[in-house]
Amino acid sequence: MKIGILSFAHHHGEAYISNLRRMENVELLGVADEDSARGTALAKQYEAHYFPSYEALLDAGPDGVIICTENNRHRPLVEMSASRGVHVLCEKPIATTYEDAKAIVDVCKNAGVILMTAFPMRFSAPLIEVKARLDNGDFGDVYCFNATNQGELPTKHRTWFVDPEFAGGGAIMDHTVHLVDIMRWFTGSEVETMYARSNRIFHAEEVEVETGALEMMTFKNKAFATIDASWCRPQYWPTWGGLTFEMVTQRGVVFVDAFRQNLNIYSHDAQRANWSYWGSDMNHTMIAEFILAFRENRPPKVTGDDGLRAVEATLAAYASLKSGRTEVVART
Amino acid sequence: MKVGIVGVGFMGTTHVAGWAETPAQVVGFVAETQLEAEALAKQYGAKTYPNLSAMLPDVDVVDICSPTHLHLEMIQEAAAAGKHVICEKPLARTTAEAYQAVQACKKAGVQLLVAHVVRFFPEYALARNAIINGQIGKPAVLRLHRGSYRPKKPAGNWFLDEAKSGGILMDLMIHDYDYARWIAGDVLSVSAQRVTEAHPNAPVDYGLAILTHTSGAISHIAGSWAYPPPTFITRFELAGDRGLIEFDSQASAPIHNLILKSGGNDAPDVGLPSSPVSENPYTTQIKEFYAALADGKPVRLNSDDGLAAVQISEAAIQSAQSGQPVTLRSLMEA
Repeated sequence: MKIGILSFAHHHGEAYISNLRRMENVELLGVADEDSARGTALAKQYEAHYFPSYEALLDAGPDGVIICTENNRHRPLVEMSASRGVHVLCEKPIATTYEDAKAIVDVCKNAGVILMTAFPMRFSAPLIEVKARLDNGDFGDVYCFNATNQGELPTKHRTWFVDPEFAGGGAIMDHTVHLVDIMRWFTGSEVETMYARSNRIFHAEEVEVETGALEMMTFKNKAFATIDASWCRPQYWPTWGGLTFEMVTQRGVVFVDAFRQNLNIYSHDAQRANWSYWGSDMNHTMIAEFILAFRENRPPKVTGDDGLRAVEATLAAYASLKSGRTEVVART
Repeated sequence: MKVGIVGVGFMGTTHVAGWAETPAQVVGFVAETQLEAEALAKQYGAKTYPNLSAMLPDVDVVDICSPTHLHLEMIQEAAAAGKHVICEKPLARTTAEAYQAVQACKKAGVQLLVAHVVRFFPEYALARNAIINGQIGKPAVLRLHRGSYRPKKPAGNWFLDEAKSGGILMDLMIHDYDYARWIAGDVLSVSAQRVTEAHPNAPVDYGLAILTHTSGAISHIAGSWAYPPPTFITRFELAGDRGLIEFDSQASAPIHNLILKSGGNDAPDVGLPSSPVSENPYTTQIKEFYAALADGKPVRLNSDDGLAAVQISEAAIQSAQSGQPVTLRSLMEA
């Protein structure tokens, strides 16, 4: 199986190279990037073949591609890939508007190619364990979630993460989709209403997008949840951030801290505490599932529709910021 | 200073222990029945009275530790008699009642001190001082969490009677509404949900609320009556533009009990982690109230704080019913 990486706008593209390299019967066909300086430099660093254009990579006949552009630039590459019958793993959020998200899903359906959304949490070993126990009936009904997906300001990876045009927003756009997807996965129910409040107190002088955000949502099955999507972690916090939730059920509460599997490392070099993650690499399992899905000619465990539903909930949060009200999630 | 206590439940018992550490004298107790008050009265060398009216002539201060729905009438009666009032939180069951309570004391020229004891817990007080000293800059996002099991009381569990206690969104979470206000200032609006709104017969309850503050800060308040007994957990995370404060009662407990089962007893000796401090925060609170009443010393909260906490609670209750955010202003206009 031949896989290509389209764009290094998202830093995950770099990590995916090493994931692909560790997989059997998988060939990293190469990489392409609209920023040729960035693309050639990273291709050289990771010893990957560099294609001078996205078209050139797609012409070389990949079975699948991983699209790692900025959030608002996924659509043309998804369309280009789908039209050539190439399967797509698309970074999250799949788009920053309803129109683009819907178009991305539709073009892949019409072309008969797999569209998978890069939601790595679906492949988190701790989350899979909790989901299995939930499905086994250990907890009874799920009533609500008290969830956080907090982080540091993501500009140390790429500056476009705080650009309203490229990212489609700030902390809400960055962090809502993961937990919405997890809760949809756990409850099997869709987000029905969304309320959100935000501010720009963290890094107020550096960015124009929201950096602090709290969201409250209800699901069709009457479950409800809050998400703290804030970029509230100082740059010197022991790690980048994290994802936690307290899941309240008929039989009590399960508290999940998805990135807790860390060593505390204190080093003379760092002069501060550092958490070094030893838990399993979700990206690896995620990419393996993408490849397995088209090898077995079946839908992946997390689809383009999942990406679309998460975008819809996220855009409802922005609608709520504007109106000050709880908004019904609009369906495309 | 002579003090009379109304209520001999957990709070009445805790307050009298605090008063014992002050020069004030607890002269009497009132309970639902005089019989209930006898043990505590005997222990502290005080009298029992059949009702508040009978006790008023003998006291300077009335300390109200009765169920929430009874507060207003007692406050009004004490204030009308010119007695200072200490009142357990919530100050009253509704904004309208809390407002009347505040007005009654202002009109009578007596003090009304509301026992928001969380302000006296050393971890909460220290975090606030750190913020006042500028250690984390301007507060932006506050997260406050308080969790336990459903309150159990042997007879007539008034905590579980929503009309009397206000339920989880009021009775439990009011502690953290008040603390959020103490840190980030006045609250504009509240959006809240709770499990028992959609599932009235759920075996557990859990509330979530988002507060917006006039300062621009936002607060997330979580309250749990969903943990197994005897769990009691508090956590907070106060994030500002120049730093972050984290607290977790479990992580910071200096004592963890991993005790083997007792001989001949199959039940495990479940022990909560404990975090002993040299002075019970309830006692710290009563001492500060005493100093305020006896010597006019500053006290860390006033009756308007008690009113505001009730307003936030009522807004949360209304929001959970309607699904829409509720402004505090709308409650005062109502």
